[in-house]
Amino acid sequence: MSKKNKIYWFEGVTEKGVKSLLTDENSKYRWLRSQRNRRILVILMALGTALVAAGSYWPTLKTDLNLSDGTSVVIYSVTAIFAVFAVLMGYLFLRISVRGIADAPDELLDERQIKVRDTSFRYAYYGLGYIVVALLLLMNVGPEVKLFQPEGNDGSFLIISMLFLSAALPSMILAWRERDI
Amino acid sequence: MLFHMSRNPEEPVYNRIEEARNSLGLTRQDLADKVGVHYQTIGYLEREEYSPSLVLALRIAKALNQEVSGLFSQTPFKKGK
Repeated sequence: MSKKNKIYWFEGVTEKGVKSLLTDENSKYRWLRSQRNRRILVILMALGTALVAAGSYWPTLKTDLNLSDGTSVVIYSVTAIFAVFAVLMGYLFLRISVRGIADAPDELLDERQIKVRDTSFRYAYYGLGYIVVALLLLMNVGPEVKLFQPEGNDGSFLIISMLFLSAALPSMILAWRERDI
Repeated sequence: MLFHMSRNPEEPVYNRIEEARNSLGLTRQDLADKVGVHYQTIGYLEREEYSPSLVLALRIAKALNQEVSGLFSQTPFKKGK
């Protein structure tokens, strides 16, 4: 038996990692696999991603936060790091909750799993398409309504949240739709 | 089309996988190992929530010592037959 752990660079997974998730050998994550808990995780991920995206707009909203003040910069940065870290952890749990099916290559899945993975990607493609169009519209009207300003609002958190969403959306859809994983 | 076939309530594919599996004393995991799928997929098949490909249907029939036509049908099976 080969001990070599094949790395799937394009999918960002390893053979042993996916096989370990597909079996029930790691029972400590079993609680994540009920549909209810998976759906709660999806909602938390959506809220977390929205919170990270809001990091691009927070300083420009009518709040007391003034990023020319040192304390405010620290509060803003710590909150942003915490939000990004929380979403990253949520993404890792989400992958575990769907047994890594959304990111697994064909050769590690059976025909039904391939079908549900591909369906999730199809919906994720539509979803991301709508979001990108909405963001392009936002960028078009943004300067007029002063959504984009130099102080702490260069759109970087928006880009980070989009990166999270593009990686996590297939798993989120899979986690939401499937009864048994 | 395949996706719709698998979940279309108007075109279900009925099967007797659970009955045949139980008669051989196999668990879902045992059958899954024999035909090379995940045990959850056997559950989906038995609940008739997923219709297998022809290749998988043939593999299941072979593993359960049955003919495909005796295991799968487009009309419901009569109980005890």
